[in-house]
Amino acid sequence: MDIVLDVKNLRVDLPTPNGMLHAVRGIDFQVHRGEMLCLVGESGCGKSMTSLALMGLLPRKAVRTADHMRFDGIDLQTLADREMAVLRGARLAMIFQEPMTALNPSYTLGDQLCEALRTHRKVTMAQARERAVYLLERAGVPQAAERLRQYPHQLSGGLRQRVVIAMALMCEPDLIIADEPTTALDVTIQAQILRLIRELQKEFGTAVVFITHDLGVVARIADRVAVMYAGEVVESAPVAELFARPTHPYTRGLLNCIPVRGKTLPGSRLQAIPGVVPSLVGTVAGCAFANRCSQVQPACTQTPPNVALEANHTVRCFAAAAAQEYV
Amino acid sequence: MTSTQSVTPTSHHNDIALELCELSRVFKLKRGLFSAPGEFKAVDKVSLRIRKGETLGLVGESGCGKSTLAKMLLGLLEPSSGNVLINGKEVDPGQRRALARHIQPIFQDPYSSLNPRRSVADIVGVPLALHQVGTPQEQQRKVREMLDLVGMPERTHQQYPNQLSGGQRQRVAIARALVLHPDILICDEPTSALDVSVQAQILNLLLDLKAEFGLTYFFISHDLGVIEHLVDRVAVMNKGSLVEIGTREQIFERPKHPYTRMLLASALTPEPGLGVPDITCETIA
Repeated sequence: MDIVLDVKNLRVDLPTPNGMLHAVRGIDFQVHRGEMLCLVGESGCGKSMTSLALMGLLPRKAVRTADHMRFDGIDLQTLADREMAVLRGARLAMIFQEPMTALNPSYTLGDQLCEALRTHRKVTMAQARERAVYLLERAGVPQAAERLRQYPHQLSGGLRQRVVIAMALMCEPDLIIADEPTTALDVTIQAQILRLIRELQKEFGTAVVFITHDLGVVARIADRVAVMYAGEVVESAPVAELFARPTHPYTRGLLNCIPVRGKTLPGSRLQAIPGVVPSLVGTVAGCAFANRCSQVQPACTQTPPNVALEANHTVRCFAAAAAQEYV
Repeated sequence: MTSTQSVTPTSHHNDIALELCELSRVFKLKRGLFSAPGEFKAVDKVSLRIRKGETLGLVGESGCGKSTLAKMLLGLLEPSSGNVLINGKEVDPGQRRALARHIQPIFQDPYSSLNPRRSVADIVGVPLALHQVGTPQEQQRKVREMLDLVGMPERTHQQYPNQLSGGQRQRVAIARALVLHPDILICDEPTSALDVSVQAQILNLLLDLKAEFGLTYFFISHDLGVIEHLVDRVAVMNKGSLVEIGTREQIFERPKHPYTRMLLASALTPEPGLGVPDITCETIA
């Protein structure tokens, strides 16, 4: 499989009145063609900043650095704003959390869908409309042709998110970055939208970076998972491997603290992770999870190594490194 | 564990903490200048009983009337018809203060439910001051005790909400709800704005407090995992009506109504390999 996206040592720093906020602290990941990579983590772990850094949509004051950020062989860091704008929408598309704000309320759906294509490709309005209708139908929007004349406010939240997905696919992008696309939706609609994203991804062979905080969603849709904590990827593995052998204490803590049918005894105490996420302002030394970790050891004041286990599974942890040597 | 027998009409009235009788709320919709106003039944003839010390879960999708129902129980919204009985006595919607002694809320968003200009101790002290419970010294002592109980360390008592994390804010909201020692807590999605690691802390706290004070919980959530973990009985709402009510086992093991079955089918448990369920067939049901 060829690699669509190859990111090495990505960092995002945001200046704040109290000092530099290190939102993303040197993360590496790769996405293969047609693969679904889930970035999972809690609020403030840097997952949304990672997606904005990839799209070149960071706040103006933010500083982005990386060893490389190759998209299909092109290093995104070397591109000027105008060159990035050519890629964005055409080969790299984004689906945001809020379908209400992602669509322009004062243009019809047809105008917005066709604009996405006509900005990047030399096609006639009729051809663009034809593709818009085709993709809306594929995205499960009923009466697609009539919908082109409607405005976003005339649609329900679920339908709007379907339109946003169709829009992301207008130019057949190689990579879609989906930032919590179903968080604002009801569970029944969420299941439909996730199924749709998965089906369309398989049909068009699109690579997807899917950002979420919901481990249930991750388990059901991911090919690979990267668990983020305090601006770092602490564990990364294929989805079945991660859920079968969660190794980083944070990953294990996350999996243990959600009540699961058949596993957790109703009414019993849940295994909460004590404490709170550390502040990422100023220098962060050693393992950021150390103050909440049950397996903390003296070495954890140093930067933990990234340990490669079997089956494409990596963990950033001293305890895992020690276990590995022991074996 | 609490017994999970469903409440039968023969249950003794002394056992019932909260009873709703055909509670409805209709909102008038203004249409045109000359056309007749439309009506929207947000809550349609909901009847249920919650026994003392029981936890009843309420599930349903957005817009099904869950929060309208909660507001009516708290006296924040007047029912169009039907009535609410607390400990067997009918509630007069005008008597909000008397109502507040028995029933208190915890809301979803701890960022907007706390006054940003008051310190933690002040926020928790407000109900005591409003209800003129004891001397100022006694009030301060009660506030301190309650904050200790919910796990807020001494140093946070003089802090302001913006200095607290989401989990800590929700602890403050719980302390404020409990400081008058009510019988019933209405929890309206109390953990859905929190991260899962913090959610577990708050759910544990709610379980502990229930054991300590023998509280009755009316627990509204869209998270079926949380509902199954916490409640004795479950009520399922759809489009303003109660479609099914039963014990946890009845609802989760043997759901009868197609809507309940669809809700259960669409819940995504963290089990890889199962894929995303296809629920389109029953969607229009």
